[in-house]
Amino acid sequence: MNPPIPLLEIRELYVNYGGIQALQNINLTVNAGEVVTLIGANGAGKSTTLRAISRLINPRSGQIVYQGRDITRRPPHEVVRLGIAHSPEGRRVLARQTVLDNLELGAYTRSNSAEVKADLDRQFEIFPRLAERRLQLAGTLSGGEQQMLALARALMSRPKLLLLDEPSLGLAPAIVREIFSIIRDLRATGVTILLVEQNAKLALESGDRGYVLEAGRITLTGQAANLLNDDQVRKAYLG
Amino acid sequence: MNGFLSTYGFLIVSMVMGALLGLSLYLPLMTGQLSLASPGFYALGGYIAAILSTQVFKVSDGLYPIGLVLLEMSIAGVVSGVLGVLVGIPALRLRGIYLAIATIAFVEVLRVLSLNLDITGGAVGIFGIPQPFLTPIEYLWIAIPLLLVTMVLLYRLERIRLGRAFTAIREDELAAGAMGIDPTHYKVLAFTLGAILAGVVGAVSAHFLNTWNARQGTFDASIVYLTSVLIGGTRTFVGPVLGGMVFTALPEVLRAIADTAGLPLWLAQFLRDGRLIIFGVLIVLGTIFFPQGLVTPDLFKRQKNRKSHS
Ligand SMILES: Nc1ncnc2c1ncn2[C@@H]1O[C@H](COP(=O)(O)OP(=O)(O)OP(=O)(O)O)[C@@H](O)[C@H]1O
Ligand SMILES: [Mg+2]
Repeated sequence: MNPPIPLLEIRELYVNYGGIQALQNINLTVNAGEVVTLIGANGAGKSTTLRAISRLINPRSGQIVYQGRDITRRPPHEVVRLGIAHSPEGRRVLARQTVLDNLELGAYTRSNSAEVKADLDRQFEIFPRLAERRLQLAGTLSGGEQQMLALARALMSRPKLLLLDEPSLGLAPAIVREIFSIIRDLRATGVTILLVEQNAKLALESGDRGYVLEAGRITLTGQAANLLNDDQVRKAYLG
Repeated sequence: MNGFLSTYGFLIVSMVMGALLGLSLYLPLMTGQLSLASPGFYALGGYIAAILSTQVFKVSDGLYPIGLVLLEMSIAGVVSGVLGVLVGIPALRLRGIYLAIATIAFVEVLRVLSLNLDITGGAVGIFGIPQPFLTPIEYLWIAIPLLLVTMVLLYRLERIRLGRAFTAIREDELAAGAMGIDPTHYKVLAFTLGAILAGVVGAVSAHFLNTWNARQGTFDASIVYLTSVLIGGTRTFVGPVLGGMVFTALPEVLRAIADTAGLPLWLAQFLRDGRLIIFGVLIVLGTIFFPQGLVTPDLFKRQKNRKSHS
């Protein structure tokens, strides 16, 4: 077997919010084709990690290397162009715009309109609920539908690396299963995913590897299957 | 008809200019920027036209050539645009009310400068700006095409990629950034487009008003155009156009009412001089009861839906 190729490498990352240290000495690798899960309690710094990667916040120090390129100081729109899509926490869809507008804006960085059209059709295939509601205002979608839209919109940029922040937050179990089956399908098509989840069991079951974040530090990492069986993890996150 | 036009010609042209200035405030608002800088660029454009026409071009006999007015408008647009970028880049780091305050300060700085510089005629201003037309109403030959062109461009803008980026930024800057839209770039662009429009309108107004001084484009004007946009509507360009016309005419209407016989003296006085109070109350009531203004895109959509259902 070939050694895995790192698509994303975070080295000694520190992030502060004013005086608060949100992340300390984070080292994290995501290899091409992997689904990597980030678990941790509320406020551990999971969303902060994703925001640092998609460059929505500035780290204090450390390095974020993507495809061998240092992107630590690149602006967010350039990072999207390089193939990183972030579906932020709390499904930030554009409430006053239609489903279709949201999806088209997801492809904002792409110029080949035929390909965009094809991808649009593909999203409607994956998410038939969105297809039925393509002209509905995104703000009037149900929570689960908004989450699907946020996911579909992120996919519209044809990402090589997809950052998903709590895609199952506040959703009914049936919808959660639906979302995770989509995540597994995406993985099968070769999209690399860094997944943040409260639902640690489902997330680890759908992933290859995992990291455990506690109060801004990585305390544990390993194969998803091993983490699932780890006593500490079981006690703290699997209930 | 001629009597009507000569009585109301001045007001009609002013209303079209008001619509244009409403649009110049609306442009930055498309990206969610509450900027009150328009009157500053309007004043600047007016001074450029006033100085060029009285001191540089100096056409002595006959009507002033319209070509030169168009040239002044272009120069005013370019200068306003450059200044718009220079002011916009630092100013747009501010948000909401802080941006509003910073842009008011910008307008004040320009006003104080114009009061104290020789080239702008100090407190007296610049007089005898030459006329390209015989009557005020003929200024519509410039004002109406300018308004139509601006409206067509905005209509297009609201439907293309660029306009969608603007709207996305207004709704959620963070999400827009996450979609690969560069908010700073587009905010500066929208701010600059508003500045250019205000500067161009100022250049026409200088001729139209015949004199130009530091009373043009002050904080008062900001309030009037802010009312136009907030009450007219912040979600489609039609709102500021109608708002700009109505609120330019409103003080005149109030004055007319004040002149009707039999009104108590204090009420007549208030109608004449209480303009800013009335505008202030309208802004407060309007933002409470019609947070998106009176003209909203839904008004048009509902029409469309009805058609497509039948
Ligand atoms: N904009 C901000 N300003 C100040 N502090 C912040 C900000 N955003 C996050 N924090 C703090 O940083 C820490 C990490 O926050 P983060 O959102 O990354 O947590 P999280 O692991 O995603 O939590 P959750 O599971 O609740 O979403 C928290 O203590 C939080 O209060
Ligand atoms: Mg979070």
